[in-house]
Amino acid sequence: MFVLLRRNGVLAATPKLCRISTRLLSSGTATDRSEHFDIIIGGGGLVGTTLAAALAKNATFATKRVLLLEGAPEFKGFNASGPYQNRVSAINKNSIELFKSIEVWPLIEAARFKSVKQMQVWESHSDALIHFQDNNFASDVACIIENDLILDAVYTRLKEATNVQVLNKARIESVRLPKDAQANTNTSELKLQDGRSFTCDLLIGADGANSIVRKEMGVDVFSLNYERMGLVATLDLSDDGGDNSVAFQRFLPNGPVALLPLSPKQSSLVWSTSVSHAKQLQALPPAEFVDALNEAFCRQYPRVELADKALQALNAFFGHTSAQNQLQYPPRVTGVQTGSRATFPLGFLHASSYVTSGAALVGDAAHRVHPLAGQGVNLGFSDVRYLVDTLATAAYAGFKLGDKQHLLKYERQCLTKNVPIMIGVHGLHTLYSTEFSPVVLLRSLGLQLTQNLPPIKNMFMRGAMG
Amino acid sequence: MFINKSVTPARLSQYLASRVVRNSTTTTSTTTDYNEVRHHENQSENWWNPSGPMAALHALNEIRVPFIRDGLVARGQVNADYINTTNVLQDQKMLEVGCGGGLLTEQLGRLGADITGIDLGERLIQRACKHLNESSPELVTKVKYRLESVDQHAKAHGEFYTAVIVSEVLEHVDDKVGLLEACVRSLKPGGSIFITTINKTLPMWIGGVLIGEYVLNLAPKGTHHWDKMISPLDVQRILDTMNCQTVLINGSTYDFWRNTWRWINSTQMCYALQAVKQT
Repeated sequence: MFVLLRRNGVLAATPKLCRISTRLLSSGTATDRSEHFDIIIGGGGLVGTTLAAALAKNATFATKRVLLLEGAPEFKGFNASGPYQNRVSAINKNSIELFKSIEVWPLIEAARFKSVKQMQVWESHSDALIHFQDNNFASDVACIIENDLILDAVYTRLKEATNVQVLNKARIESVRLPKDAQANTNTSELKLQDGRSFTCDLLIGADGANSIVRKEMGVDVFSLNYERMGLVATLDLSDDGGDNSVAFQRFLPNGPVALLPLSPKQSSLVWSTSVSHAKQLQALPPAEFVDALNEAFCRQYPRVELADKALQALNAFFGHTSAQNQLQYPPRVTGVQTGSRATFPLGFLHASSYVTSGAALVGDAAHRVHPLAGQGVNLGFSDVRYLVDTLATAAYAGFKLGDKQHLLKYERQCLTKNVPIMIGVHGLHTLYSTEFSPVVLLRSLGLQLTQNLPPIKNMFMRGAMG
Repeated sequence: MFINKSVTPARLSQYLASRVVRNSTTTTSTTTDYNEVRHHENQSENWWNPSGPMAALHALNEIRVPFIRDGLVARGQVNADYINTTNVLQDQKMLEVGCGGGLLTEQLGRLGADITGIDLGERLIQRACKHLNESSPELVTKVKYRLESVDQHAKAHGEFYTAVIVSEVLEHVDDKVGLLEACVRSLKPGGSIFITTINKTLPMWIGGVLIGEYVLNLAPKGTHHWDKMISPLDVQRILDTMNCQTVLINGSTYDFWRNTWRWINSTQMCYALQAVKQT
């Protein structure tokens, strides 16, 4: 009986206790000036903006408020009839699927893009050569799309969304995360340089290789500076290029030089080379730059004879005549668009963890690769797909958005996909940065074996095409 | 005690009658359960630590919340407008029996359910209240906690709830019939009772109890006991006598190395069961 009484006593007291502490809480901790959002995305680059659009498109997040922070002023828009932009991306099938799912693809299709039917990769010190294409060219290897066009299309969809707010000229000053899951506060806090502050359940770091969010997350970062620059430019081609639907990449001793088709008469250049060489190329008068470029694609370097002989033997073994491995010469470059030359540093970066309680990383904030396989932004878009799926599943099961338990699932999916590709791309860079004969021999044999063994080639293609 | 196969409705109702009388006159019948309550109260501080001793229970939310949610959707209990939104359980009146620190209660509340969690552990209810107020203040209008037995609760809330949840509780209770009877009493006709528990099988006892508690420390030692475990068929039989039709039994298992639960094609280890109170 005593037990029963005691129980009833507590029974009456407990709800009151709940109410009192609620009142205390509402007057105590809620900071008046910081606005609360469910999700804040730090960084409005390609990946961050696409993420915002993908969240807006997902019915599960219909009642969630999303804020996108971008350091730059408002996006100025894109003119599809103007000159081609110098920053372009090779978009693979996976990323196109994502664009289709958020209804961005029709906008891009209606503007302009170039599908690549074949990719030719060869090198300077041997005859080794590989062609990537779909069976009978039935589908594209990739699509070359201008970055600003993607942004423009995604912004168009974002403007239609009622639950996403975009804040321009918003630079993050500091971030505070609920490090300890046991901690009383479960929200992430964020302060901008202009003094405004926000709180959110989940802060997503899409703020690039120098991510402030990542620094606050306290994850280890493995990073390498390649001491190379990427030089981009928009090029005019001679008339003999046909419909210009082959992408070319030649590995030179300093790094690969690649031509990505934009239109029948124009291509985009990505030339990775040493820092001093890149600066020099950027400063050259247009005519000399064009000469240097044509030379880069055609110049005969000293051959590793043994490698060439071994390749002939290998091709003979597979019963191929040399005609099947015929090198196609890239179209001759006739001019460079004024003001289109720009350089950017190249590096490798991988965060040891993509998530903590209340925060997650996407895109370059989590991983950065050499552009030689055109994987960087595609990995970012694949992060977006995984993250939106994981968050939707979690939210529909009543989890808090910042709950590390399900964020870890996102991380697991990403790592499974990203790490092999990143190791592969880094490996290719390392392999082709040398002129040491045995390495040239081995890489040439490897490349030619891949070319001659369709299963292996298809495996690589699946990896690169998503 | 009802594990043998000779349960007949007549004997059951006789037993139930004696149960009800005993419950209303003395409190001794729940003495052994109080050991269980005390055992769980000792974990109250660590209850909300996702990597603490309750890690497996945290992870279980990943399958038990969808099980309950989809179970209600499948019975046509959910307004079509709410499906696929985070308010999917809006307008549902739910009772969670043996809510502990409120892991499942809060999560269902976050999906819009009006949910009451009851437990006999005073410290557990305090922990649940504390977490609700401090970490999920947005849910205070949705989630309520009460320190009382389901029998007491059902007296004031007869045919009140659209769903009653008994998750990871049945294996800690001696008087399963009494508990389930009170649960069903509080359920509206057409409402569902959701039960998750561990099966009474040798693989479960060796894997879950011996290895889980004494080798891997996945759960605190002494959490589970063979004689309190119950098979899905026995649960189904008991519910049958209470006019509840079992509509779904799913088997599940726990991968301790990645702290993840998954559905499997066998109920040999753990299971989740949904039964609907007939009108």
